[in-house]
Amino acid sequence: MDSENGDKAILSVSGLRTYFFTKNGTVKAVDDISFDLRKGEILCIVGESGSGKTVTALSLLRLIEPPGRIVEGKIMFEEKNLLDIPISEMQKIRGNRIAMIFQDPHSSLNPVLTIGEQITEAMTAHRNLAKSEAKAQTIELLRLVEIPEPERRFHEYPHQFSGGMKQRVMVAMALACEPSVLIADEPTTALDLTIQAQILDLFMELRKKFSMSIIYITHDLGVVSELADRIAVMYGGRIMEKGRRDDVLKNPLHPYTRGLIDCLLSESEKLASIPGTIPNLIDLPEGCIFHPRCISAMDICRTERPGSSKIETEHYVYCFRYGGR
Amino acid sequence: MSLRTYIAKRLLHAVLIAWGVMTAAFFLMRLGPNSPADKYIASLGAGHNVTAVVAAIESRYGIDKPLHEQYFNYIASLLQGDWGWSFGTSMPVMELIKTHWIYSFQLVLLSSIFAIVLGISLGMFTAVKKNSRADHIAAFFSFAGISIPHFWLGIMLILIFSVKFGWFKTYYDTSLPMLSLENLHALTLPVFTLGTGMVAGYSRYVRSAMLENMGKDFVRTARAKGLPERTVIGKHVFRNAMLPVITIIMLDMSGIVFGGAYITEVIFGIPGLGWMSLKAVFADDYSVVMAVTLIGAFVTLLFNLLADIAYIYLDPRIRYE
Amino acid sequence: MRLAAYYWERTKRQRPAMAGLAFIIFLIILAVSGPFFTVSPTQVNFDEKNIPPPGFTLEQSIYNASSGGFVTTVQRGTWEHPLGTDGMGRDMLAMLISGARVSLLVGLLATGIAIIIGALIGITSAYFGGAMDSVLMRATDIFMTFPFLLLLILIVYLFGSSLTLIIMAIGLTGWTGTARLVRSETLSLRTREFIMASKALGASHLRIIFYHLLPNTLSSIIVLATLSIPGAILAEAALSFIGLGDPQVASWGNILNAGQGSLQTAWWVAVEPGMMLFFTVLAFNFMGEGMREAFEPGGD
Repeated sequence: MDSENGDKAILSVSGLRTYFFTKNGTVKAVDDISFDLRKGEILCIVGESGSGKTVTALSLLRLIEPPGRIVEGKIMFEEKNLLDIPISEMQKIRGNRIAMIFQDPHSSLNPVLTIGEQITEAMTAHRNLAKSEAKAQTIELLRLVEIPEPERRFHEYPHQFSGGMKQRVMVAMALACEPSVLIADEPTTALDLTIQAQILDLFMELRKKFSMSIIYITHDLGVVSELADRIAVMYGGRIMEKGRRDDVLKNPLHPYTRGLIDCLLSESEKLASIPGTIPNLIDLPEGCIFHPRCISAMDICRTERPGSSKIETEHYVYCFRYGGR
Repeated sequence: MSLRTYIAKRLLHAVLIAWGVMTAAFFLMRLGPNSPADKYIASLGAGHNVTAVVAAIESRYGIDKPLHEQYFNYIASLLQGDWGWSFGTSMPVMELIKTHWIYSFQLVLLSSIFAIVLGISLGMFTAVKKNSRADHIAAFFSFAGISIPHFWLGIMLILIFSVKFGWFKTYYDTSLPMLSLENLHALTLPVFTLGTGMVAGYSRYVRSAMLENMGKDFVRTARAKGLPERTVIGKHVFRNAMLPVITIIMLDMSGIVFGGAYITEVIFGIPGLGWMSLKAVFADDYSVVMAVTLIGAFVTLLFNLLADIAYIYLDPRIRYE
Repeated sequence: MRLAAYYWERTKRQRPAMAGLAFIIFLIILAVSGPFFTVSPTQVNFDEKNIPPPGFTLEQSIYNASSGGFVTTVQRGTWEHPLGTDGMGRDMLAMLISGARVSLLVGLLATGIAIIIGALIGITSAYFGGAMDSVLMRATDIFMTFPFLLLLILIVYLFGSSLTLIIMAIGLTGWTGTARLVRSETLSLRTREFIMASKALGASHLRIIFYHLLPNTLSSIIVLATLSIPGAILAEAALSFIGLGDPQVASWGNILNAGQGSLQTAWWVAVEPGMMLFFTVLAFNFMGEGMREAFEPGGD
């Protein structure tokens, strides 16, 4: 496995490209990204909306729907390239070995099925369980995610749950088969602030209980600083910088990462310190995708795409100012 | 609003409409240029004691009484199941209905089963294969199916399968026992005639409802759980798509099915209510024509009510409000 | 006008809709010009009965008075009757063109009546609201409860079956859908700023209804009207087919009725009017569907 350091990566993504072929042109939502996820760690993928975080997550489970398509790349998981295996085999991995939690719990649950049914189904899809056994385990899961009166709520429908409770149901569903990788796509964004904190606490706890590896996608650097072991910063479908949490947060190198952290410190709503807006993913700028907004852009940034520069053991940055060739 | 109040409200509404339907029928009858007696006497021809007949008919219909009294009598007798006297067949209309309804019922039942099964499967198939060649072909045929006049379709089926190939009789054979394969065989063409338009309509409803739900987030959740595509579509998408479809199918019962069944019965000579009504039209048998129209309205009303109630039981979001 | 041009541009892109329109225009031309190049559709000629269309032959036994027995003759189609003749020797082409006239008349007039009644009831109901709304909508519910065809049959039975009456009857029973649509569209318009503004400026009810509300519901009304025309045409055809149509005119339903009786011999008498009916209904449906797609906001 082409891990970037000695540790064994449980999931290794290299050269992933996911494009959307729309009438108006090709949208390069994810354009040549590589990263590793190690056993037991939380990897935070950070970026603004439209930076390709969600598409990256969906690509890992091959849940991209037309007109989108994974064009290129390798996703190595348990000795297999997930992009090479047939869909039937992929289905055995989804929800079983790699599970996912979505951004909006309100729309992500089926309104006409009980939540018990929806969790049980995730279990029985992969394991041969008697009905009563599946039900008992589901109730246990509901208890684990701290849903009160799980026996009663097993038979209730999504609209009878609050947003935070729905997200707990989603978490329970993802844990149904005790996956080794959990992908959480902005799981708290659609929730109230107090509920967000509760869900985050739940994550921290579950992480201790299970030895799961987690990919946590967010735009919130505050969450990242609490949760992450390692960070990958995405912008315009590409990774700008990645490394251990402290390396990236305390010693940000890429001008974009710096901007992000500056505006967190200045507590302003928008990315005040980064002029301009996120690029249109159809007409991507030549060279480094960030150069039109970069305060320290050089000539080469306008024509060539920077490669990765290794700064420390696990700290990589994609910028010509640090080499990048 | 609690569930019970909701149902009570719908029931009250249905009663109101039923009363409106009966009132409308009463005034249509009185507005008509001919009194039932005139029509009947015209059909009798010469040689009858006209004044006696008129008096008998008028007192039978209560036409000699003041209007409001006629109105109350009319509604009271309808509610008691006294739907008038059929002069053409010399028996109470209710008796006539009792012998004929089963033929309409079997036709409508079989056609509905045929249409629902085929319409739903076709709708699901075309939704899954959206924009494929099969989808386009199916879209063309469903458009044709909606546009084809079913009485012409019936005649063409007779022309091809009865006249040319001789596979079926050109007329429905009433001597067959109802629960027999021969009867089913005899009903093949009628069911196809009545069912084609329904299949076309239902498949389009199902397709659009499926497509609408296939883009929903919970479908992605279902896939992310690792469920096979069969379960994702057949369970998660289908259950949601069925909510509006069941309502539409029930509401459709009135227009398509009644008009269609009426004419299908006429084409194939199936002695159901439609056939009976048309015979009565030509025999100037007033009460029978009115009775069949009223039955049509009442059954429609019943289905509208059922659609309302079915919806709340099918959609948990309404059920637990 | 600019809006009309815009909708026309969008409708033009819908190919089936344009095919439908072309067929309808062709039909209208045929219906109008028909009497100038065809024989009378009611001209009976028993010597020329059951002539098949050119290219087909028909064997029929004819009673020969001189020999006193039946002689089997082979009847060949001629170009004199390009679509053949019926059992009374009437020219099928002439009858079909007359039928086109009837169907178009019924479709356009009955739908026109239905749309006007429906729009007025719907707009009154929504604009005035309250008790007026309740009464009108319950009346609509009662009307909708009667199955369309059954109600038509009853009306025609009670009041007679001239073509004028049939058109009136279809119009007077077919307005419920329009009423509901216009009502719901008006309800959503009623609270919009420009309506509120004209109310505040003291505009009269009639002015608001005819200058502001109606024009804004027009595109939906046009689509619904186009999609209702086939229903009106089919209703008349169905009535004529079961023998309750106007016996004075040759309509597609009448011909079809006669054709059902002669299926064993002259199949074309049943096939041809049905085809016309089918294509006409299909054309209107294609057009209505295309217009609906074109008129849908943002539906590109």
